[in-house]
Amino acid sequence: MSDLPRTQHIVASGLIAAVGIGVAYISYTSEPARAFLFPKIISTAFVVLALWTFGKAVLGKTKVGIGLSAEALRNILPGLVVALVYVFWAAQALGFYTASGIAFFLLLSLYDPAPHDAVRTWVKRIIVTAGFVAVMYGLFAVLLNVYTPREIFL
Amino acid sequence: MKTLFAAASIALMGLTGAAAADSAENYPERPLMLMVSYGAGGATDFQARIVTMTAGNEDALGMPMAIVNKPGAGGRVGWNWLATQAEADGYTLGAYNIPHFIAQSIEGGVEYSADSFEPIANWGADPAVFVVGADSEFNSMEDVVAYAKENPGGLTFSGAGLYVGHHIAALQLEKAAGVKLAYIPNNAGGAGAMKAVIAGEVLGGVNNLSDAFRAKEAGNVKILGVFDNERSDFLPDVPTMQEQGFDIDNTSVNFRGVMVPKGTPQPIIDKLAEVVPTMFENSRVADKMKAGGSPMHVMTRDEVIEMWKAREATLKELLAGL
Amino acid sequence: MEFLAYMGDVFTPINFGLLLIGTIGGLILGATPGLSPTMAVALLIPFTFRLDATQGLVLLGAAYTSTVAGGAVSAILLKIPGAPANIATTLDGHTMAKKGEGARALQLSFVASAVGGVFGVLLLIFLTPLLAKWALAFGPSHLFWLAILGVTVIGSLDSSSVVKGLLAGCIGLWLSTIGFDDIMGAQRFIFHSSVSGGINVIPALIGLFAIPQVISMFLKGRREREAEVLTVRRHPITEAIREVFRRSRALTIGTLTGSFIGLIPGVGGQIAGLVAYDQSRRMSPESRKFGTGHSEGVIAAESANNAMVGPSLVPLLTLSIPGSPTAAVLLGGLLIHGIFPGSDLFENYPDVAWTFINSMLVGQILMCVFGLLVAGLAARVAQVPNAVMAAVVLGLAVFGSYSVQNSMGDVYVMMALGTGMFFLEPFGLSAAPLVLGLILGPIAEANFIQGKMIATATSSTGAYFFTGLLNLTLIGLVVASVAYSVWMEVRHRRYTTKEDAMVRGETPT
Repeated sequence: MSDLPRTQHIVASGLIAAVGIGVAYISYTSEPARAFLFPKIISTAFVVLALWTFGKAVLGKTKVGIGLSAEALRNILPGLVVALVYVFWAAQALGFYTASGIAFFLLLSLYDPAPHDAVRTWVKRIIVTAGFVAVMYGLFAVLLNVYTPREIFL
Repeated sequence: MKTLFAAASIALMGLTGAAAADSAENYPERPLMLMVSYGAGGATDFQARIVTMTAGNEDALGMPMAIVNKPGAGGRVGWNWLATQAEADGYTLGAYNIPHFIAQSIEGGVEYSADSFEPIANWGADPAVFVVGADSEFNSMEDVVAYAKENPGGLTFSGAGLYVGHHIAALQLEKAAGVKLAYIPNNAGGAGAMKAVIAGEVLGGVNNLSDAFRAKEAGNVKILGVFDNERSDFLPDVPTMQEQGFDIDNTSVNFRGVMVPKGTPQPIIDKLAEVVPTMFENSRVADKMKAGGSPMHVMTRDEVIEMWKAREATLKELLAGL
Repeated sequence: MEFLAYMGDVFTPINFGLLLIGTIGGLILGATPGLSPTMAVALLIPFTFRLDATQGLVLLGAAYTSTVAGGAVSAILLKIPGAPANIATTLDGHTMAKKGEGARALQLSFVASAVGGVFGVLLLIFLTPLLAKWALAFGPSHLFWLAILGVTVIGSLDSSSVVKGLLAGCIGLWLSTIGFDDIMGAQRFIFHSSVSGGINVIPALIGLFAIPQVISMFLKGRREREAEVLTVRRHPITEAIREVFRRSRALTIGTLTGSFIGLIPGVGGQIAGLVAYDQSRRMSPESRKFGTGHSEGVIAAESANNAMVGPSLVPLLTLSIPGSPTAAVLLGGLLIHGIFPGSDLFENYPDVAWTFINSMLVGQILMCVFGLLVAGLAARVAQVPNAVMAAVVLGLAVFGSYSVQNSMGDVYVMMALGTGMFFLEPFGLSAAPLVLGLILGPIAEANFIQGKMIATATSSTGAYFFTGLLNLTLIGLVVASVAYSVWMEVRHRRYTTKEDAMVRGETPT
């Protein structure tokens, strides 16, 4: 095992252990104590298991998991940003169908291997996006009557 | 891309114009949403689906009403959402259960009180009843109380949760009979509480009259008393608690109706308050409710405001001792 | 054999037409992420207002049957389990689809569903009184032990490290305590308004399974298409039918586990699939192949979750107690027509009751036929280019989790959990045990507290939880399950540590 995954394992399991300790602290100090009986049991197990994993990571004995390479992270980043902005901001602010259309189109442009300089590629991407939004609209708005956040275009 | 931006700006301008013109006159322009703070299939959900089925009729609102379930923690999740997160635009309505949400707001730990909502109309009143398994040795409330006196704190009985109508009824019974009982709140609501009675996990239970009536018809339980001022039309043979010598009134009766979050425009509230009761009185609605064993009790907005106030006062007194 | 007398009623033009609509509609609704069978049936209730009682129930019964099976479609093709019942299906089903064997996975799942489903309905027809007793036998202490038994499964589920499986399970258990606690109404761990209502299982399921998959599609970057074109292998239907019956061990375990666990009110339906999957893996000589696209995994999971459909209605039809949320919605469908289910239902309304049950029986077959017809076509989804697929799954995840209860908070929870899960997966934590923890948490907690309250009022806590045949049997199973996991872990260490590390290394997902 190379050093990169080992460091990553230490950081990841350390973070999990920190969350576990935080949860345990809240569980043991909150009122009413009666309602926190179950969280106390869980958080104790959580902390023990997380520290165990952390210890193994520090000793370099982690058996499973391959970590993430820098190249992988570089590839993920643009898509992840689009996805996060879409979910946490655009869907509510622009309305579901508009935001979905834009996010869909952006993701296609970012990850579709077809050449960017051909007109055909762009036409195809627009058609696929429109098709997707239409199907979503048909399924959720027309068929299921789900009332999604208001649209800026509608 | 240019045309897209042009289209966007035109649409934006159109939107602001439309918002200004959005008044009570053409309300409602799109489907409405009725939030039910209990799961699909529960008594409140079932009744809400029936009483709103005619919303789309021309003589009613002219727009359908969709039921959205936000269950959890005895209704607290849904009402918290309605009080704090729902848009007060007249398109988001909620179903209320009295005494549940008022009792919960008195107990604390929630973000709503009776002042967070504006009532529209009441559709039903479902009293609590005391049930025991069909093969139970108890045949009257007297037997139940006698057992409780012999075994203080040993009479286990189920109900749908804490600070809901069933719990209020249980508290009233404890107070009126002067005994200590073991109330076991069930996490699966009224259905779970009923199952506990039929399976013999507990000695008795408080449950909704409509559900208990069905279980009695199926031969699974005996109903020993009604927590109401009068006997029910569905159960003319079952005496009220008062008749059996316990000073218990109708505080625990589960009133169900429609409300909107505070801040909803007054013209819209007025329009809803005028139309919704007529929707409940529709004969198709009444037939379906009767067929399902759900007692109806239509009340107008003014009557509901009075009822909420009265309940709040009695509940404060009852819960003060806890 | 009374049910045969009413078989003809299923085939009247109107009823059969409704059955077809219900089945096809149910398959579509079931395949839509976020629409659990409960939601789908609740959405159909307004349509039954205009129908008479029998017709309405034919529609609802058919829809219930096929939404459960339809959930397998998105679980296999998109790795989005539409409902907790389909979690186990994703484990092997989606792996098969990724290898180009989507058609085979779908066919196996539909055939296994039909076999399990028909068996379940036959149980409902012949053994209802007996099953009713079994459904009532589970009190709070038993349900508590059953949940603990589920927790012991966590350690070995979809993870080659028991410790990390348990850690993921603990995280899930903790997530389940967020929000109001169901009995006392106290607020716990509410750090953001989106989780003030607790974490709803369905959006969590969608996020935990679908989002890591979306992000790992980004992982490959803008790569040339030739490298990723997948041949979707055609697979003859007869072959699938033969395979299902050849895998009789998985089929039997799935069907029996599904029927008997599915019956337990409030618990069964959610975990039947996972328990069946786990059991058939433990009993299979090829247990190492599970999780790598092994047909037994799909067969066990799918036969279990459809076998549950019939028995899950037993408490409703005999005792008038809805044992599952879907049964509660069906109760509404009956009540609207003034029909009160109960032990005399079959005497008072034999036409309604038997036509309903028969329609579920016929519905199982129809569901299988339609499912098989489209399986080959649907499997082509795997050929959709990565970029399109990622965008489609993301969009479906957003719409699906929003539509559960029209809540933006659910969408945020879905995305946050999913993104977190993606960054945990490379470190050996997986989604299945986490979700199982999320599902089992409330069951274990509520039943423990109720049991303790009853015990304090009547006898002692020890006596309540540790005596009685059913308690002891369940405790025995828990001990056996833990012992088995420990033994496997020890044996694992001795033989396969290196090989195991290599196998995991080859499949970076």
